Amino acid sequence: MGRNREIKAFDPRRPGQPLDLFTATDTKLPVIMEILRSPWIVRASDLIQPASTGMAGKKREREVEVVWDGTRAGPRSFMMEGRHYPVDAVVQSWAAERAWWDPRKRLSRRCYRVLARGGLYDVAYDRLAGRWLLVGVVD
Amino acid sequence: MHLHAHSHFSFMDGVSSPAALLERAAAYGMPALALTDHQGLYGAIRHYQAARNSGVKPIIGAEIVLEAVGLDDGVTIEGDVPPDNRLPLSPPVGSGRASASGFHLTLLAKDITGYRNLCRLLARTHVRTGDDPSVVALAELEQCSEGLIGLSGCPCGEAGAAVLAGLPMRSERALRRLERVFSPGDFYVELMHLMTPDSPRYIAALVALAQRIGIPVVATNNVHYLKRPDFRLHDVLASAGARTSLPGPYDRPNGELWLKPAGEMRLLFADVPQACDNTLAIAERCNLDLGLGGFHFPEAEVPAGDDAYSVLSKAAWRGLEQRYRPITPEAVRRLQHELSIIERLGFPEYFLVVKDIVDFAKSRGIRYSGRGSAGDSIVAYLLGITDADPIAHDLLFERFLNPARRQMPDIDIDFDSRRRDEVIAYIYDRFGRDHVAMVGTVNTMTARSAVRTAAKALGHVPEDVNSFSRYLPWVSPHRLPEVLDTYPECRDHPLHKPEHKLLVELATELDHTPMHLGTHLGGFIITREPIESWMPLQWAAKGVVVSQYDKDDIEALGLVKMDILGLRMHSAITDTVRLARERVGEENVPEPFELPHDDPRVYEMIAAADTVGVFQLESSGQRNLAQRLRERDFEDIIAAISLFRPGPLEAEMIVPFIRRRHGIEPVTVPHSAMGEVLRSTYGVIVYQEQVLQVAKAVAGFTLAEADSLRRAMTNGRSRGAMERIREHFIERAGGLGVSREVAEEVFRQLEGFAAYGFCKAHAACFAVVTYASAWLRVHYPAEFTVAILNNEPMGFYSPRLVLDDARRHGIGILPPHINASSAEFTVEQDGGAIRVGLGSLLHMTSRLLEKVAVERSVRPFDDLADFLARTRAEEPAARSLIRVGALDGLGVTDAGRPPTRDEMLALLPEIKAVIARRGVAGDDTLLIAPARARGRVDTGHASGWTPAMRLSAELECLGLAICAHPLDLARADLEHRGITWARDLPSCADRTRVRVAGVRERAQTPRTRSGKRTCFLTMEDPTGLIDAVVFEDILNRFGDVIVKHRTYLVEGTLQNNPERGLALIACRIEPYEVRTGGSGDVRCASLGTPSPDQLHSRMVPAMTSIDVASTMGPA
Repeated sequence: MGRNREIKAFDPRRPGQPLDLFTATDTKLPVIMEILRSPWIVRASDLIQPASTGMAGKKREREVEVVWDGTRAGPRSFMMEGRHYPVDAVVQSWAAERAWWDPRKRLSRRCYRVLARGGLYDVAYDRLAGRWLLVGVVD
Repeated sequence: MHLHAHSHFSFMDGVSSPAALLERAAAYGMPALALTDHQGLYGAIRHYQAARNSGVKPIIGAEIVLEAVGLDDGVTIEGDVPPDNRLPLSPPVGSGRASASGFHLTLLAKDITGYRNLCRLLARTHVRTGDDPSVVALAELEQCSEGLIGLSGCPCGEAGAAVLAGLPMRSERALRRLERVFSPGDFYVELMHLMTPDSPRYIAALVALAQRIGIPVVATNNVHYLKRPDFRLHDVLASAGARTSLPGPYDRPNGELWLKPAGEMRLLFADVPQACDNTLAIAERCNLDLGLGGFHFPEAEVPAGDDAYSVLSKAAWRGLEQRYRPITPEAVRRLQHELSIIERLGFPEYFLVVKDIVDFAKSRGIRYSGRGSAGDSIVAYLLGITDADPIAHDLLFERFLNPARRQMPDIDIDFDSRRRDEVIAYIYDRFGRDHVAMVGTVNTMTARSAVRTAAKALGHVPEDVNSFSRYLPWVSPHRLPEVLDTYPECRDHPLHKPEHKLLVELATELDHTPMHLGTHLGGFIITREPIESWMPLQWAAKGVVVSQYDKDDIEALGLVKMDILGLRMHSAITDTVRLARERVGEENVPEPFELPHDDPRVYEMIAAADTVGVFQLESSGQRNLAQRLRERDFEDIIAAISLFRPGPLEAEMIVPFIRRRHGIEPVTVPHSAMGEVLRSTYGVIVYQEQVLQVAKAVAGFTLAEADSLRRAMTNGRSRGAMERIREHFIERAGGLGVSREVAEEVFRQLEGFAAYGFCKAHAACFAVVTYASAWLRVHYPAEFTVAILNNEPMGFYSPRLVLDDARRHGIGILPPHINASSAEFTVEQDGGAIRVGLGSLLHMTSRLLEKVAVERSVRPFDDLADFLARTRAEEPAARSLIRVGALDGLGVTDAGRPPTRDEMLALLPEIKAVIARRGVAGDDTLLIAPARARGRVDTGHASGWTPAMRLSAELECLGLAICAHPLDLARADLEHRGITWARDLPSCADRTRVRVAGVRERAQTPRTRSGKRTCFLTMEDPTGLIDAVVFEDILNRFGDVIVKHRTYLVEGTLQNNPERGLALIACRIEPYEVRTGGSGDVRCASLGTPSPDQLHSRMVPAMTSIDVASTMGPA
């Protein structure tokens, strides 16, 4: 253990080298957000373009429990399969209304792409069923 | 606040009305709201007015379609660009021909210069040429950009579309080019967060571009509807507009184009707060003042040294000398009074412009008559605009022009409809093409069109769409559920099926949605400045240039709008006079408009309800009224025209009027002065002018004050406001010594009737035309009938009934014949008979009509072969001619008699073939063809056809019954069924139970005061007209029979008394089919649903050309 601590504490930078980009979580977040929202970056997941829910790398649909954050106008955290995911940031949100004239194919959702536990998740509120779903895990 | 909002005047793309958007914006506390409809300012004036009233600053703008501007230099056409540089996204912007040919750009008017430039830009773009799509050229935009603020547009704008297509360079070029078009600081990059997964990057890219070029950004939301749930209607409209089914041309991913409150917009643009700030900055810079409330008259012709007033008054005094002999002091006083008010209000030019137009008509002998409240003015009478003497008929100038309210006068003129185009051409020449346009009118959806729109969007096939809209009455879409539930003709309607619930729901929500810009019947705008500086113009489907504003908007702008209407009765009167003069001599037929109104035969005819064809008095309601009123003089005609109107009918004025006239109840009025004023109407307030007179007589109001009182009473004031008006009235009456109780009762009556009275001046102007037409019908019935038939469609009745009516009056009806008929109906036998013309024959062509006339002037036709050889008649036309008997009696067969119609029909193809061969082969084939026709059946008629066959052909090919009335064929059967004929009904006692048979002529279901549906059914049998009243309970049981069939047996109780007139109160209606046996085959002359054994089944369309459903519903 002692060696481990030693390894972790080792500073590989030479004297005079600039500081790391991410010295703490709260400085890391704006940069990630900036990168995620940058117009010139296209993620592999964006190229999948599933018709129903916007973009998702892996298409998974499962029910989740969401705690709403009124000030942020987005989820504060969500609970999936007994595990708690605090939301670090809402990256973006979008709305989807599809085939409203066809009861079998109809879809009405408000989707949020959130950063949580180091991953990017798409959670959506299904207006028709009145419940929250996880609709995608990105990359 | 929003700078990019579409109302429902973005036809088939916007959902909410400008008023609704404003109401919501005001509720959100927004300081301003811009209206930016597609390619036009259709809703701009109402937006402007409503915004001013609600304390929100109005911004007027438009979303235009602009040609591509971001291509590489030197390249102007998309197709010339190398494939890699082409925009891969073809933007479906604009509508119709303009689609996919340009990019959106949002324009906002900063001030009046900007507004005028916007009007000019839109007008020039739309009117440039009829065939070009309405895409704005960059050069035009540059010319008209002063005073305009430009926003780069939605994702269908060039910058946005290029970003989405991954072409940032093109986007940058477009932005740089557009920036140069506008004044510095007047161009913004428009950001829209449409809540799609792409939105953040779309915005980031545009912000980055804007920062690089140095253009400010502004946030908008491309509002298309008021609230989120309305997105469905938006999708429906967009799909129907693009003639596709849902999801429509844009395939919108969500419903976020609603009017979002400021907080929500700020949240969406949290990263770009300056975009939201700039909306407020732009709103502060837009300060448009349209200067409403002024008047802008076109230039009247005024000689040097004179002014408009002096020209007008000279003309009026000259008119006084001509119209009044001798000139009375009253007329002089009246003229001086009116002239002084006209001068004070500044309207002399308006009168001179109208005079100019009617003088032209007069000089060309074009018959015309003024109508409406202009009849209240002696000046209009003296200038020859109207024909009813305002002094003789107690007409009050203040009803027309109230000196207390400076409001644009409105003079409507009816011209001979055949020559109306000459008048219109004169107006264009006289005032200049750039100064005249027709008034546009926005056509909104009815239940029927809403159902069709929704059904098409939902992807139903055309047959289903037709079946959904069939039998729906002309009502507003919001009444659709009620109509389906309660109207008997909708009992088995397919929309009742549960799977169409969504369709009905959507159609109902499409209430008040405009569909397209149409043309007002006869409204013209005439301006002093070029009209495009006042309003945008565009081509209407009719091929005329119309304003994008409707008549109310034009009135609000203070521009002159004139109704140049076409009246077919004027054409008919002109024709009657011409025909009569041809027959009896020029000097023996007076000008009908100049006749003294004292011919007793005219009043006898009207009182006998024998008025088919008479202007305004021919409808079933008027005939019923005539039986009760028994007109005796010209005032009675005015009363009749006024009483049978929605207002007086709703206020049930007719009953007390008739009862008092016939002494059944006493004439009682609360005040003697009121009795004096209402003497001619037996104490009933029928005319709006009488409201003024009563207020003057009882409370000492001036006529101007009295007119203001009338308007206040009409416009549904609040209880408090009404109470104040009442107290004022009572106080003024008290000043004249009228007791409070009496004054209260007078006021109560005024209040009750003011809103329902009819303008007497309008009725008096019409009555002049009515008398002229009635006089001509009495003295020249054949000519009058011919003139009516030649000017169809007009009036209340079908041509078939007009002809039947002539036959009942002893006028002979001669069948069409190629050696005797001309294109039109003609008078023969010295006014004793009418010859049916060939013009309206099925399959007849104008070429053939001309050829027949030319060839016949050489010599008459000998037989069918001669006719075909000389006219080269097309086979369908020739068949029609043979079938209606136009070749009967011509030629001789081997049997030594003229050929029958069957023989001629059988020969026709062969003769045509022989004639064709002769031309080609050059040999002179003898025109002898083998007679292979069916053996002749002796029918007692030279044509070889039974009456049923002949009648059937006449109905099919001409829509007329020439040889007999359809029910004549079933006389025996009908008499066996115990029916009573129409001519015998007047002699039946009141409350007799009768059974009648008739062919439906009209079925009307006007709105009644109680809200119940009552159908007024007009039928015809061989002896006359039958009017039946079908009350709601019976209508619910038999309504579908009325709509779906044409001939009925009706049972009911006869109402026959002087108070209520003659009518049948129906209690049972069943369809009836005319069946006659003859020569082994059954000819079924059913006038309703076709039956399988109907040999001449095509007669049905001819007979059902008037769709009853179209005449049902509120008038």
